[in-house]
Amino acid sequence: MEARRRDRFDRRQTATAEKTLRRVRALTHCPQALTPFLDTLSRVFVDRQDVVHPKGVPTVGTYCVMVPPELIYAQGAMPVKLCGGSYTAFAVGDDTAPRDACPLVKAVMGFEDIDAMPAYQNCALMAVPVTCDCKKKLAGWLQERRPTSILHVPANRDRDADMERFTRELYAFSDSLAEITGVPLTSENLSMAFHRLAEAQTQLSRFIDLRRKHPTLIRGAFAMAAMNAMSYTWAPSWTKQLARLNDELEGLARAGTMAVKGNQPRLLLTGSPVIFPNFKLPLLIEEMGGLLAADETCMGERGLYDPPAIVDPSLNGMMRALANRATRPCTCPTFADNRRRLYRVRQMIEDYRIQGVVYHVLRGCLVYDYEYAAMEAEMERLGIPIIRVETDYNEEDVEQLRIRIEAFIELIKYGGNDR
Amino acid sequence: MSIYAGLDGGSTYLKAALIDHTGKVLNTGVVSTGIDNNGAAEALLKKLTREVGIDRIAYTMATGYSRKILETADDDVSEITAHAYGVRVTAPKGYRPGIIVDIGGQDSKVIYLDGNYHVKNFTMNDKCAAGTGKFMEVIAQILETTIDQVGPLSLESHAPCDINSTCVVFAQSEVISLVARKFDRRDILAGMHASMARRVVKMIRKSELGGDILMTGGGALNTGLRQAFEDELMRDVYTANYPQFNGAIGAALIASERGR
Repeated sequence: MEARRRDRFDRRQTATAEKTLRRVRALTHCPQALTPFLDTLSRVFVDRQDVVHPKGVPTVGTYCVMVPPELIYAQGAMPVKLCGGSYTAFAVGDDTAPRDACPLVKAVMGFEDIDAMPAYQNCALMAVPVTCDCKKKLAGWLQERRPTSILHVPANRDRDADMERFTRELYAFSDSLAEITGVPLTSENLSMAFHRLAEAQTQLSRFIDLRRKHPTLIRGAFAMAAMNAMSYTWAPSWTKQLARLNDELEGLARAGTMAVKGNQPRLLLTGSPVIFPNFKLPLLIEEMGGLLAADETCMGERGLYDPPAIVDPSLNGMMRALANRATRPCTCPTFADNRRRLYRVRQMIEDYRIQGVVYHVLRGCLVYDYEYAAMEAEMERLGIPIIRVETDYNEEDVEQLRIRIEAFIELIKYGGNDR
Repeated sequence: MSIYAGLDGGSTYLKAALIDHTGKVLNTGVVSTGIDNNGAAEALLKKLTREVGIDRIAYTMATGYSRKILETADDDVSEITAHAYGVRVTAPKGYRPGIIVDIGGQDSKVIYLDGNYHVKNFTMNDKCAAGTGKFMEVIAQILETTIDQVGPLSLESHAPCDINSTCVVFAQSEVISLVARKFDRRDILAGMHASMARRVVKMIRKSELGGDILMTGGGALNTGLRQAFEDELMRDVYTANYPQFNGAIGAALIASERGR
């Protein structure tokens, strides 16, 4: 019975992932160097194998950019970002979670319940920052089933007391890590991990610079696939893959071969997480004649955009730097005051010459929905059209979304917006 | 003289409009959306052109659900853009539309326009047929009347019933129970219009109420519904000329820009 259930799960899950990958590959101007990223997604979601990592290194499931990967690498483990985007897992989790819970959390509960995804199942520890009510209940639910570390996220991040608190949370998480890996935290191994991630970040900065070029070198859907693949890739390998992609894009820039014609409306995607295989919105935007020029989402560059700023090289100084990096520049709406998300989006509109903003709200994702009003007012002030699209983890709403996205793209095309 | 055509392949009906280079509407026609969208569209266009005595259409633009499969069209455009264009022609003289309320067969939309008739923003109903023409049709059938009688009948009501369900299917059972309790069908119909208006008005941003409100789509032909909108909004609501053809006329207007 259980085996048959898993078989069905496998079939549906594989079909969705494969279909999504096919649609990504079908977009024009796919760089060759994107292949390893798509292969990673295919490996985890279609072939359902564990993530590639050195033998003997345990994996740690993380549920947010607020879990610093440096800490996990330092103590001899590999982080795997497990926030779920699977429609099939969602359908399973839907049985357990209340109806109004968000699909991301339902998908995670589904993965836990069905026991069919090695990349998920093999994690020796789960790290869940409490970024909203759903995540809090998810953390409690997971804790009943497997080793779970719960990180309390402060409501503010500008006072020293908030930082002290989050630093203590990271120390507690570090203790849990030591229990599963046997590696205690030292300033040496943390410093090494900082270097390892700094290399990834260097390539990411190059990538961001290339994405800002006009006309555009790479479609947003491709960039989002590369960023999503990071969740399931050993950091040094991902760094190499991204370096090759950057080299290819630089070559394209020199040759003047751009990803799209200059006149496609340039859109920014922001809001709730967009997690593979839930690529509905990026794909619809690109398929309906828009150009996804950038995304301000937590599966994108948010987690790695800012480097940890170390002013005090002691172990405690580095831990404080991590706590700072994880929260202060973070544009997650979990924080009470989040003006910086508006600043960030405004900056991105300048940098990427954005003509319209697509605001993604996952059903039940209250914190993002809450911030829509402020974002809309800001866009009104800037004269940038914005559209709120609410989606769930299924394909039932694709046609309704399609007409909205298409009309939004036309609104910019025909609207006489001369930006 | 060049002639331009617009096709609006809606969920219930396929509409077509012919205009000349000045934007004057020459002919309109409607057929039920069958299985063979494309064949129906070709036949309809042939009939319309024959009636006005021309044999060549310079450019054809499609809109509506089936816009992507209408091979007779040269290109296609979304309903939102088509409706925004349409009111340039269909708005009654002297009116300046700021908001279009389109009541279609299976969806309803609210489109906000700026001073140049460009789309500023829009909202649509999702995953639900309440507040659409389909809802009206279902209720008309239960009350043993036809869609064109629904408006005039409801205007004779003095005490509209309360219909609270927002779901078509639940509202249907509610109406059946009202019938069983021997309520006058005119009161039931007036209640239905109020319920539809409440539903759609929820989509309208009160802060955006600049300019005139114009109704388009088949639903605009229903005078009872228009009055319910006025009562709900406490504002005048106007009906576009050729409301049912507004999408097709808009598409034809875009065709005339393209094909020039």
